[in-house]
Amino acid sequence: MFGNTLINAILVGAITVIFCFLISTLLPGIERKYIHARIQQRIGPVVIAPGIMAPIKFMFKENVKVESPVPGLYKALPIICFIAVTCLLIALTPQAFAIPALSSLVAIVGFLKVEEICYVLMGALSKSVMSVRMPFPDQIKGAAHNNAVRSFVEDISSRRSLRMITYGSFPLYLALFAPVTQARSIFLSDIVAFQQLNGPFLFTVSGAIAAIVFFIGYMIILNEYPFSIIKAKCDVIEGPYMEYASKYRAIVYLTRGFFMMVLGVLFSVLFLGIPPVITSWSILINIIVALIFVFMMGIFSAFSPVFTNRQLLPTILGTTLLGVLAIVLGLL
Amino acid sequence: MDEKVPRSNIIETEIPMGTVHPAALEPYRVRFFVEDEIVQEAEITIGVNHRGIERIMEGLPVEKANSLTEKICGICSNSHIWNSCRTAEIGLGIEIPERATYIRVIMGELERLHSHFLYLAHGCEVLSHETFSMRVFYLREIVMELLAMIGGNRVQYGCSVLGGVRPRCDVDEAKLLRLKNDMDAVEEGLTGFVERFLADSVVQSRITGIGVLPQKQAIELAVTGPTLRATGVARDLRTTMFEYDNFDFNVITQPDGDVRSNLVMRALESFESIKIIRQAIANIPEGKVVNRDWEMFDTDMNESYIEVPRGTLYHSYALESGRVRHCIIRTPSMANIGAMQYACIGDQITDAQLCIVQCDPCFTCTDRAIEIIRR
Repeated sequence: MFGNTLINAILVGAITVIFCFLISTLLPGIERKYIHARIQQRIGPVVIAPGIMAPIKFMFKENVKVESPVPGLYKALPIICFIAVTCLLIALTPQAFAIPALSSLVAIVGFLKVEEICYVLMGALSKSVMSVRMPFPDQIKGAAHNNAVRSFVEDISSRRSLRMITYGSFPLYLALFAPVTQARSIFLSDIVAFQQLNGPFLFTVSGAIAAIVFFIGYMIILNEYPFSIIKAKCDVIEGPYMEYASKYRAIVYLTRGFFMMVLGVLFSVLFLGIPPVITSWSILINIIVALIFVFMMGIFSAFSPVFTNRQLLPTILGTTLLGVLAIVLGLL
Repeated sequence: MDEKVPRSNIIETEIPMGTVHPAALEPYRVRFFVEDEIVQEAEITIGVNHRGIERIMEGLPVEKANSLTEKICGICSNSHIWNSCRTAEIGLGIEIPERATYIRVIMGELERLHSHFLYLAHGCEVLSHETFSMRVFYLREIVMELLAMIGGNRVQYGCSVLGGVRPRCDVDEAKLLRLKNDMDAVEEGLTGFVERFLADSVVQSRITGIGVLPQKQAIELAVTGPTLRATGVARDLRTTMFEYDNFDFNVITQPDGDVRSNLVMRALESFESIKIIRQAIANIPEGKVVNRDWEMFDTDMNESYIEVPRGTLYHSYALESGRVRHCIIRTPSMANIGAMQYACIGDQITDAQLCIVQCDPCFTCTDRAIEIIRR
């Protein structure tokens, strides 16, 4: 009996994760085709191109040798990111609620932090050709500062990732803990149960403010414009992803779409009390929430230039204060 | 000198960018010397696009050489062939029919429009504001189609010839009507864009006070064109060109010399170009478009300066048996490289490409042999 229940739970959880993953492959295409392209009055790519066709294409491309001091670790990082995002989704399924250590906000924060730290390592371990010194013109007599230490654009990206971990993603974590103030528990099962009894947290003053903070944090952690300082094309180009090619780049693409979906599901769980279950129609709400986030993110990013520190710091400070307000209101 | 003087003694880290970089339209290399992401000094190196056009022109018949100058630049191709023809016309004393002068002015101003629109679109692209960038590109498309209508091509028009313009580039009533209607559409679109652009507070915070080039420094560095005018200096060579004698237009200036001033400068200057084109449409005289009644003879070095979208363009060569000798071409970006390096200093490295782009570089034109004479 227990064995059958366990197998059923694992099967349902696994199918839920696979279903969410399949849906997630459409999200980047929806963002680019139906939001960015429509706003910019152009045709845009085929909707399955960015999330499905591009990764498939990259899977069959020849890999390039990376200029990294630890190439093995560098190449493993996208896979680690993907695993962290998958674990995050598993933790959100009701089947995982039976394992409190996995389905608590501490674990959620941990998985998100793993994903963030991967960017720091990616940037630090990448030494792409984009910044290689040209010996003749750079060191010729008359060139300025021959003895300056050479840095790589990816190094800047790495330092920026560290900065984003330090304070950039702070609003998202504040928003994650806002529902705790009402449910009085860090366990997802309690947060979901509380909302099923008392209504969604989103429809409280504290919840509405926290939802705004969550959305801004969502864009920050996805490195989407205008917060994409770690991979801004105007200076660090692709940033930490610069040297990923072939199947590694395919995983980067898949992870991004999957992460968009999982963050939408995370919002559904924490703010609506609806965890993803493949056996229930409520999974449609998870998908709709993920789509709403993608639409909103697409609109915001299409109408904003990339931020520099001058714009980023006040935005994060303001959002953090809003997050604190949401928590204080939740506690009252 | 002001506070933007490079503090060489504390420079520790170099971040080289290029020669290939997505924010740069052309291959050039910049070495940024930074402290905590603040640029202390910048060094631009060009030379990877050198094609030796002056060398190829050496000894060519002047008509062929003129056509070749059009290949110097994809953006201001008309300006090069116009100035090259003008150089020979000055040396040989060729009189240009007035109708041809008007058509040259129309082509020149259309080229200025498409160059300035490219600049605005590229500026927005470097800001990572793709939506604004796309909107300007749509406006530019109208101008490109007009250039194709008159010149037959979207880029290399081959409009100017010695003595005037090619007969195929003559403009009939239908073309003038389309030109007039499209100028109305461009003006309406540009007005909408400028209003939206200036009202966007986030964009304004990205461009205001960034890449400041003080007027004194701009004059010291011999900066030219809109980049100079964006520092408040009302210097436009069109006011001295005989081709523009019959046209009424204002020399636009902006006060601050920063990225905002440069962007606004180009936008306002585009309105002046529309004004000039409208005057040309209204007043274009009847008559022939090319004067074939001239004779070739040997001349010493002939010089011609014209105002092109990026500043002052210089062409000079001598004529010997109808062939070009000792050709020298200097494009405006050559004069503006110092400004590009200077503008980066003191700003964040994220803004560095923006500071370079604000000077509207065209390194492909600029890549040519330079003889430095030390005195």
